[in-house]
Amino acid sequence: MLDAFLAGAHQVFAFDTLIYMLIGSVAGIVAAAIPGFTVTMAIILTLPLTFTMGPLQGVSVMLSVYVGGYTGGLISAALLGIPGTPSSVATTFDAFPMARGGEPGRALSLGVWSSFFGTIISTIILIVAAPPLALIAVKLGPWEYFSLIVFALTIVASLVGNSLMRGLIAGVIGLGLATIGPDPMMGRPRLTFESDILMPGLPFLIVLIGIFAISQLMGEVEDHGKSDKKGALIPDVIEFKTWAVMREVLMHPVNLVRSSLIGVFIGALPGAGGSIANLLAYDQAKRSSKNPEEFGKGTPDGVIASEAGNSATAGGGLIPMIALGIPGSAVDAILMAALMVHGISVGPRLIMDNADLAYGMFVAMVVASLMMLVVCVLSMRLFLRVTDIPKQFIVPTVMICCVIGAFALNNRVTDLYLLGAIGLVGYGLKSLDYPLAPLVLGVILGPIAETNLRRGLMLSDGNFAAFVSNPIAATFLGLALAFVLWQLYSAVRPRSGAIAQALRT
Amino acid sequence: MTNGTEKSAAADASASAASRARTEFARLISYIVFGLGSVYLSLRAGELPTSRWEPLGAGSFPQLVFAVLAVLCLITAVRAIIDIRKAGRLDGLLEGLCGWLKVRRFSFALFGLLVVYLGVLPIAGFSLATFVFLLITQLMIAGISKKTVIQSVIAALIFSVGLNLLFAEVFNVFLPRGMLFAG
Repeated sequence: MLDAFLAGAHQVFAFDTLIYMLIGSVAGIVAAAIPGFTVTMAIILTLPLTFTMGPLQGVSVMLSVYVGGYTGGLISAALLGIPGTPSSVATTFDAFPMARGGEPGRALSLGVWSSFFGTIISTIILIVAAPPLALIAVKLGPWEYFSLIVFALTIVASLVGNSLMRGLIAGVIGLGLATIGPDPMMGRPRLTFESDILMPGLPFLIVLIGIFAISQLMGEVEDHGKSDKKGALIPDVIEFKTWAVMREVLMHPVNLVRSSLIGVFIGALPGAGGSIANLLAYDQAKRSSKNPEEFGKGTPDGVIASEAGNSATAGGGLIPMIALGIPGSAVDAILMAALMVHGISVGPRLIMDNADLAYGMFVAMVVASLMMLVVCVLSMRLFLRVTDIPKQFIVPTVMICCVIGAFALNNRVTDLYLLGAIGLVGYGLKSLDYPLAPLVLGVILGPIAETNLRRGLMLSDGNFAAFVSNPIAATFLGLALAFVLWQLYSAVRPRSGAIAQALRT
Repeated sequence: MTNGTEKSAAADASASAASRARTEFARLISYIVFGLGSVYLSLRAGELPTSRWEPLGAGSFPQLVFAVLAVLCLITAVRAIIDIRKAGRLDGLLEGLCGWLKVRRFSFALFGLLVVYLGVLPIAGFSLATFVFLLITQLMIAGISKKTVIQSVIAALIFSVGLNLLFAEVFNVFLPRGMLFAG
């Protein structure tokens, strides 16, 4: 094992590899900072560039884009209130209010340090506990998966926004939107109304960009000229203390470690990734906090939980990929494809046959997170310049970046029409105080939920009781139900005689 | 003096109640739209053929999802109606709508320009369509002056022609080419 570690480290610490990784780190941060450009897209764009490299060098560069990308998403989340990636949705809840409250530097620093520690913790767990964790994750069957998704959606619906009912409606609308297009099991077209635009379904990235980015950009120019001081998005003076913020992050060890562990576990579940981990970690931090009412108003705990949670999925996602050849996310699937291009079979024998490669990837994760940290610390002031750019430049150009991101995904102009329509719907929903995160999560998780529900029923010969008789599935469903009831009870308790209040507000 | 303050507070409370009622009314419309839409989609999904190979066919899941959505919308709509009745007043709907639209006039103008831009994109090509879109939107937000025109033209050139070149040359991603203009 030690020999493999050293051999892997030797390759990673080669000068040219380090240079390529540094470029990858910067590219990942910049790409994810642009709304609409996800980590997945950045890695897809990187893949062809690594064909001429060796397997470990190529994968190391992609890992640095991956790690950088998970951090880059927080930049637009904190400064613009637009999650650069699905993984930074929860980051907007507190980082954005903190930035709007005059502390954009602190919001970014908190995110960067939390991401760094989250990645390091997840890599340590990846190295030490990969086999048993992967075994647990892989043992989850379709009943458990479906129940997990119901549980996750319920939490998200009640977590964000001011109304549980509107949160649930938004989540179910998301599930409904995900049913448009080909059926995930048999490929039969559904609810397409024979429209060419709807025939391929609604790609979740288009929904994400439309719902979050376009609606946010439209919101930015509301009542233009009245509330704006200089036209800048964050007009206040920036105070930025990197090392003080590092200490601040370390002063929340329980939140940091808990969020990282949630990220590792969720990342290790195939199909579940940073998009769920950041919300679950945020929820746990909120529920464990002595001051839960501070969440959503710019509390550091919220930023730490979200960023440590989403960054830790990077290490968690590699667990099933390296141990079993099952990619935990789209990004892991691309990493796997990159290895296969080089003729390396990814599966249980990877550690046995290519130990230096597997352990080299662990080393590369650590190096990539260090590079991300250095790049962010040294260049964060440049990112903060975004705050000086007037709306007249930033709103239209970010909108163009969204259009490019939506187009580059599938090279389909029709996706852009979907983008516009979904953006308008998102703006309408936002104006009526519907939370948007449950809708996007519903779109992402809808096909996974449906596939697992149908598989589970196939295995149980159509017997729905299997979801209740299975202990893990029953636990998740029970927790979801208990959570909804508890939320209703909590809303009713302060003011007597009003379950109506719980349903209404 | 006290009497005047009380009257002012009562007027504020009344205006606030009316505003809440108007907001709730707008939400009620959304619940009705989503509810009716989900009933329709649930029925359409039910028309999809069942599968021979599995207990649930292609239509079952969407049918279930839209049925749940319809129930949620119904419950929430009923609560909204009760709430509006409790508020007691629902006057000034037209003024409220006009005020709402006035505050958001730039947002809708921006969206309108986006729709036109997306429509023109396959005809004019990325560079030309984007240049015009950026120029108009930037001037709409910043206002027209010599300084803003120069700044907007430069920014529009960079983010239209420049981005197109960057994606084509560096990333091998070719943005939409127009029928009239290839760029």
